[in-house]
Amino acid sequence: MQTPTIAGSAQPRLARGVRFQTDSKTGNSVLLFPEGVLELNETAQDIVSRCDGRTVGEIIHTLAEEYDIDAQVLGADVQETLADLQRRKLIELT
Amino acid sequence: MTIPRPYALLAEITYRCPLHCPYCSNPAQTRNDQELTTNEWTRVIREAAALGVLQIGFSGGEPLARSDLPDLIRTAREANLYTNLITSGIGLDDDRLGALRKAGLDSVQLSFQSDNTDLADEIAGARAHQRKLDAAAKIRAVGIPLSLNFVIHRRNIDRLSEMIDLAESLQAERVELANVQFYGWAFLNRAALLPTREQVVRAREIATVAKARLAGKMDIFYVLPDYYEVRPKPCLNGWGQRYLTVNPIGEVLPCPTASSAIPDLRFENVRARALDWIWRESESFNRFRGIEWMPEPCQSCPQREIDFGGCRCQAALLTGNAANTDPVCELSPNRASVDAVLRDLNSSSDQIRHWTYRVNPTIVPTLEHAK
Repeated sequence: MQTPTIAGSAQPRLARGVRFQTDSKTGNSVLLFPEGVLELNETAQDIVSRCDGRTVGEIIHTLAEEYDIDAQVLGADVQETLADLQRRKLIELT
Repeated sequence: MTIPRPYALLAEITYRCPLHCPYCSNPAQTRNDQELTTNEWTRVIREAAALGVLQIGFSGGEPLARSDLPDLIRTAREANLYTNLITSGIGLDDDRLGALRKAGLDSVQLSFQSDNTDLADEIAGARAHQRKLDAAAKIRAVGIPLSLNFVIHRRNIDRLSEMIDLAESLQAERVELANVQFYGWAFLNRAALLPTREQVVRAREIATVAKARLAGKMDIFYVLPDYYEVRPKPCLNGWGQRYLTVNPIGEVLPCPTASSAIPDLRFENVRARALDWIWRESESFNRFRGIEWMPEPCQSCPQREIDFGGCRCQAALLTGNAANTDPVCELSPNRASVDAVLRDLNSSSDQIRHWTYRVNPTIVPTLEHAK
């Protein structure tokens, strides 16, 4: 399946009613929403914690610098994760 | 056996309700006992969070019947729980909604009986429909995520399409169209509630088409009527795996309907035991945990960790033994008991049968703010 490309200028934010917090049992991050819990892997956690008004381009740039990874390689991961979260209606793009 | 951690607590804070729906899953007989106090619920909520619970659903009865609901929601939020209110909407005025919102309420599930006022009020046994519409508008206006819950049965299933339209017009994020499951009052009223095969086939098509049409706009969850299935539902994702319920009198249940459906299982009470002990150690939570308890044909079935042998309550109600395979399963030696019910309904020309409305149990309301 082809991953739809999200514009670098889009600003991802948590959708209404979605909470991002730490699961005290595991120390991992989770998204809580009506009737559900999604446990986030490290990549998703890094991305979601930066969905605070920053653009997709800015998120990719910060993470690439922080982890010293090529922005193009990382960009694909970020795109894929955001598309998945958007499909689950856990984030919105503005 | 490793004991998993629970994810969600269903807090049935009262059995009192202004509606009389004949499909209510509350026990049709309740013992004369006292509702848990505010302090007792506070302890239960904190213990649940410590056990790993992340989601709490406040339900009933009608949870708005308790004036301490905002306090309980605040306690849950302070314990980092995601808070859901499962309500009829009766009693949800601006002040009440404001207090709940201020306490940190995350999401509301609002029940509806139909899209049509007369039919809805007839099903509820109360003039409730217009008040629900008002409640939906208020919830929408304050921006709390809204789910609409419809219980589907023989009298309203032919209006599935109109009910979906209602959810759309009320701008719900999500609508649950759940065919009635036969426990509590619904089990008593089964002959009046079970839809015909023809109705079920049509409704499934309508749900499928609507799901595709509204994808990305409104989530539709259509829960199939399990008597018409050939394999059982994966009840609770396994007994004592993810969910626990505390009922109004403090009993801790692996499943909300277990106390009435499985009378030979002794359920522990939060008034006598810590929640952690009940979840890990009690007979009631361990009886059907894992796969060791399973009889044949479940024990050697490749589906055993997919459907977990189905529903223990249904096995108890239809076969007299909660440890049997759910008789909905086509491999169950008791499938004939389900087929007999379906045959009786689908071969009869007289499909209008009367139901008995739910009545409130004689339970003693607690003095809610007693310290």
